[in-house]
Amino acid sequence: MNKFASAEELTRYQGELKRKTNGALKTISLCGGTGCKACGCNEIHTKLVEELNLREIRADIKVTGCQGFCEMAPLIVIRPDDTLYIQVKPRDIPEIVEKSIAGNEIVDRLVYHDSDGKPIPKESDVPFYKAQLRLVSKKTPYIDPMEIDDYIALGGYSALAKVLTSMSPEEVISEVKKSGLRGRGGGGFPTGRKWESCRKAEGERKFVICNADEGDPGAFMDCALLEGNPHQVLEGMLIGAYAIGSSEGFIYVRHEYPRAVQTFSNALFQAGEYGLLGKNILGTDFSFEVAINRGGGAFVCGESTALMASLEGRVGEPRAKYIHTVEHGLFNLPSNLNNVETWATVPAIIDMGVEEFTKIGNEKNKGTKMFSLVGKIKNTGLIEVPLGATLRQVVFDIGGGIAKEKAFKAIQTGGPSGGLLPEGMLDLPVDFDKLWEAGSMMGSGGMIVMDEDNCVVNISRYFLNFLKDESCGKCLPCREGIRYMMEILEKIEKGEGTMEDLETLEEIAHTVADTSICGLGKSAPNPVLSSLTYFKDEYIAHIKDKKCPGGICKALINYYILEDKCNGCGVCAKVCTMNAITGKKDQVHRIDLDLCEKCGACLESCPTEAIVRR
Amino acid sequence: MAELEVVEEKETGTAPTTGRFEPKIVAFLCTWCSYTGADLAGTARMEYPPNFIPIRVMCSGRVDPEFIFKAFRDGADGVAVCGCHPGDCHYISGNFKTMSRMPIVKRYLEQMGLEPERFRLEWISAAEGEKFQQVATEMTEQVRKLGPLNWNETVETQ
Amino acid sequence: MNEKTEIIAEPDVKMVTFTIDGKEVTAPDRTFLIKVAREHNIEIPTLCYNEHLEPYGVCRMCIVEVTRNGRRRIVTACNYPVTEGIVVETRNERIINNRKLLLEMMMARHSEVEVIRNLAKEYGVDTIRFKEQPSEECILCGLCVRVCNDLVGAHALCFAQRGPERYVTTPYDVESDTCIGCGACYHVCPTNHIKMEQMDGLSVVYGDVSLGPDKPIHIDFMQAVPATPWIDQKSCIHFQTDGCGICSEVCPTDAIHYDMKDEIVEVEAGNIIVTSGFKGFDPSPMYQFGYGRLPQVMTSIEFEKLSNAGGSTGGKLLTPDGRTPEAVAIVHCIGSRDKNYNEYCSRICCMQSLKFSHLIREKTGAEVYQCYIDMRCFGKGYEEFYSRVLSEDVHFIRGKVSEVTDFSPDGLPEGKVLIKVEDTLLGIVREIPVDMVILSVGIEPQVGAQDLKQKLRISVSPDSFFLERHPKLAPVATATEGVFIAGCAQGPKDIPDTVAQANAAAAAVLQAIAQGEVMLEPITAEVMEEQCTGCETCLSVCPYEAITKDEEKGIAVINDALCKGCGTCVAACPSGAIKQWGFDREQIIAEIDAVLADIAV
Repeated sequence: MNKFASAEELTRYQGELKRKTNGALKTISLCGGTGCKACGCNEIHTKLVEELNLREIRADIKVTGCQGFCEMAPLIVIRPDDTLYIQVKPRDIPEIVEKSIAGNEIVDRLVYHDSDGKPIPKESDVPFYKAQLRLVSKKTPYIDPMEIDDYIALGGYSALAKVLTSMSPEEVISEVKKSGLRGRGGGGFPTGRKWESCRKAEGERKFVICNADEGDPGAFMDCALLEGNPHQVLEGMLIGAYAIGSSEGFIYVRHEYPRAVQTFSNALFQAGEYGLLGKNILGTDFSFEVAINRGGGAFVCGESTALMASLEGRVGEPRAKYIHTVEHGLFNLPSNLNNVETWATVPAIIDMGVEEFTKIGNEKNKGTKMFSLVGKIKNTGLIEVPLGATLRQVVFDIGGGIAKEKAFKAIQTGGPSGGLLPEGMLDLPVDFDKLWEAGSMMGSGGMIVMDEDNCVVNISRYFLNFLKDESCGKCLPCREGIRYMMEILEKIEKGEGTMEDLETLEEIAHTVADTSICGLGKSAPNPVLSSLTYFKDEYIAHIKDKKCPGGICKALINYYILEDKCNGCGVCAKVCTMNAITGKKDQVHRIDLDLCEKCGACLESCPTEAIVRR
Repeated sequence: MAELEVVEEKETGTAPTTGRFEPKIVAFLCTWCSYTGADLAGTARMEYPPNFIPIRVMCSGRVDPEFIFKAFRDGADGVAVCGCHPGDCHYISGNFKTMSRMPIVKRYLEQMGLEPERFRLEWISAAEGEKFQQVATEMTEQVRKLGPLNWNETVETQ
Repeated sequence: MNEKTEIIAEPDVKMVTFTIDGKEVTAPDRTFLIKVAREHNIEIPTLCYNEHLEPYGVCRMCIVEVTRNGRRRIVTACNYPVTEGIVVETRNERIINNRKLLLEMMMARHSEVEVIRNLAKEYGVDTIRFKEQPSEECILCGLCVRVCNDLVGAHALCFAQRGPERYVTTPYDVESDTCIGCGACYHVCPTNHIKMEQMDGLSVVYGDVSLGPDKPIHIDFMQAVPATPWIDQKSCIHFQTDGCGICSEVCPTDAIHYDMKDEIVEVEAGNIIVTSGFKGFDPSPMYQFGYGRLPQVMTSIEFEKLSNAGGSTGGKLLTPDGRTPEAVAIVHCIGSRDKNYNEYCSRICCMQSLKFSHLIREKTGAEVYQCYIDMRCFGKGYEEFYSRVLSEDVHFIRGKVSEVTDFSPDGLPEGKVLIKVEDTLLGIVREIPVDMVILSVGIEPQVGAQDLKQKLRISVSPDSFFLERHPKLAPVATATEGVFIAGCAQGPKDIPDTVAQANAAAAAVLQAIAQGEVMLEPITAEVMEEQCTGCETCLSVCPYEAITKDEEKGIAVINDALCKGCGTCVAACPSGAIKQWGFDREQIIAEIDAVLADIAV
């Protein structure tokens, strides 16, 4: 393959690819995301190839990145009909091949069924997808992340070509500014303004950095983008570098994402082969190189200054940002750091135009945002919604509501240092400002849904524990304050808390938020502060009534057997590892509370629901 | 007074019957080191024999061998040449010339039948008043033991 | 962490005006707030700030509230760059409350640390609501780590672990071999958590304090002229690790350049005054006095440094273990009047010892024992001073100390040594326990005087000091024209004598300069044209290259101005064609004749 010497060559090649793929062949898009991999998509792939060969059917198999509907993994989509098969097993493959690929039938039992039991075969009709607006992750289900041609065929790199041939760097910045794009890493800082400052900053070299140190537990948007569509991220970086006037880029990927590193380095190689990276890109004067740097797994290295310190080879510790990194960042030179998703949004903006883009979202928040929706919800997965969509839409329309018909208790946005929002806040639009006002934050896009069986004290303690371990320990309030907050929460969990403790807790929380150096410390008290605001009664229940409404805090709960319901089957006694349950066959059993370890196994096992937790 | 006595004895041409033989030693002293050393010996009230008669030259390098021969010929019983220590010469390298000339002079004198003790080359610094005293005393004693040179007589009788 | 470069105020930097605690102040743009606050005497507490290090901002004590563009927020003063129009409040309620809580957190972990206790007291933090832990000395301010890495560049300290488990250690928790023992960490540690143990040859520590020359920048001694400090490259951190550079940063006149090298400057001068001074006698070979072996024994020069108000103890007289001495012995004539070392009297030591006695009595009230051979108080007012010291209850023992020892069969109190001396006036041997022994060392010619002597062609006297041309008639001149001597280069003498002699030497030089012309040596040599054969022998012997050959005439010519009149050429000329004025052949022959006249007759 020769390098593209000009933008026209790229366009011509795009045309060729489109013609090629426009054939009559069916495409089997097999989701190869982490969720689907875990559920056996590799075996499905093998079986699929086998089956097709056996029947001598020609079809195009694409193992894509995460398509999002992880709850129903593994996923197979047959295109062009867009038939979605969920929770496919290798034994289902012959049937699918026979009916859907060889023929044009639909295997009813494998498609999505709504709550009424009605089958919904077409992917876009599935409520999970229907309620979403896919912009950044639009191309992921159609491309093999290891194939640059797939991306180019879908119009990839045309945004870059457009920028390089018809726009000045200032025009690019102006476009991005007009688009109202805000940093998707959680800060929500206007991207265009950041680029502009970096372009204006003086420095012999400038750097473009992609932050892929996605550390929030349960969040995998960046991972999905890098694994599913690395070229889009790269294209965004290229456009950014052109706008800023940089020729060197870094991507900081956490070590726990080996596949992302694999796909991205493959993307770098392929882009280099095509002349889309390196010297004189598309025959212009613009040159750009990207180096991949693997993070060691410190959560705090997702903070921009800590990330840069880590890139420099020093310990990843943040510093005060009174002097901005766009002026003095990596190696004390102007550096523009953006999140993976931000970079990936840039080509979309250029492609669709600012006008179209700004139609999405609300007044101050334009475009879409990806979230990883997890927790006690029916449809977990990777979603993308326009900014300004309400939490209710996310939880109920896309997420399908709470699993197991339990009651919704809270949703936490923004990772471990986000706040817990109660049911009353469900109509809150998901945007940077509204979430912040409500005491939570956008974060990088984690969303954890909790039901009535969760205890907010326990959840807050859990997150503080995470943050305590991940605090770099540089500044006093974060190092000590989080620990003391956690100690108080532990006390409350044990039922030893006092009302004064709540005051102290709030006091520490405010000081930690006020005085910490970086975002980690500043936002660490969010779970505590928000839960104290919205769920204070639950704290009081722990302190005054010595009860845990969620039934989680072991010190405050006990298991009892209801005499009228127990039929004396003895199952509970068998599962009890502590031999705390005694009783003769066919007679009411009893739990010895002194021996009971409160594991809850009996409750799960009882066929007559005779065991209760109080 | 001692000198006068010698003169008288010489005049008679006979060996002294009373008192010792008092040799005449001509010492060429460089002005910067050895002469100052002699001066030091003087100011320090050190005693040294009057037989050791200094003649000041600017540098030991100025001592023409002719002067030495002349002194011996005219009746000196011994001749000493004293200069700065090698390396300390006021004139940078004057005493190096002395250092190379004097051994030749000495050998020549010896060939002429002179006792080696009658000619001495010594390095005496300005600080070495004591050394000057010692050299003067020692040489006077040595020459005294050898007795008069009587160069003229020897030459004439031959 | 990289913002260091731009905050150093350039001369043309813009000035900004802003409000701090209601007061309008002006400062260079982007100066760190704390510097401005301190300039205006606004107290902001800090635990991790050091003006020579890049601000780190971890103790959070220096938090202040800043309103900028209508937005209020809490920032740390140590690393916040000031800009136009900001409004700073350093002690409002929010700040005080936050500081209080931070101190409470500190107290829970470092309750025994003095700086923390003091601050907590100041802010009225008396109850600790958190689980108290055993008090730790290290408050994790990072000063030591930063000074070691950023300034010293030795990289011998680092942080390990993170979060509450964070601690300061050496890399990989193993004994560091990159530590250069500079003690910078020890000096910056606010809680004395880092201790300094003396290692061989790295610093000279007298008890707790260093006597120098551990400080790489020093003025040799307080009265040194010129009083210009110099950097000892051997102990300077910068020359070991390329780090530090504080001195060049703080120097207001930009006078420090590390690339400066020792250089040889060639100066053309018509006169030289040699004032190479003296060196103190080194008493270490005198084993009996224990110098270098017993920490209590010091030389008079070291005592002078110790008692100097600008010295390391601020002029306090302390024993090596940091006590005020109870008894001090001063031993006279160390290396002077001693046949084994120097026979001459060093002249200054008696008076110096009297001065020491007076100082010790005045400063500490300790018993002072003067062990002397003879008291020589010869100068103006000196005898009177002796009488005064005699009346100050100083013990004068006429006798030479035979031994200083830290052993006594009866045992010695901690930190004391025993001196043994025969009191020749009483005729008894005394053994006195003292806390400090001062050896009054003699004066010796400066190291290198021998080299100088050869270079300048001047002489030395038997004691190896430079020799004057004449003790009475030319006391500052030397045998070499234009070379003069003054001060201890000429012989032991005190300051008044030195000054007088130096004035005389200067006057002698000025005389020559004022005359504007130099008298040439009259005893030059001259070539007698008719006798010269042009053999060129003289050319090769002349040390001054004063002889050239006149090719036209085929004869040698002597340049009168260059000729110094040694006469070597005269002696060398085979044809006797050169004569030396004043020492001509005929003149010397006549001299020889005259000397031998009575015989030749």
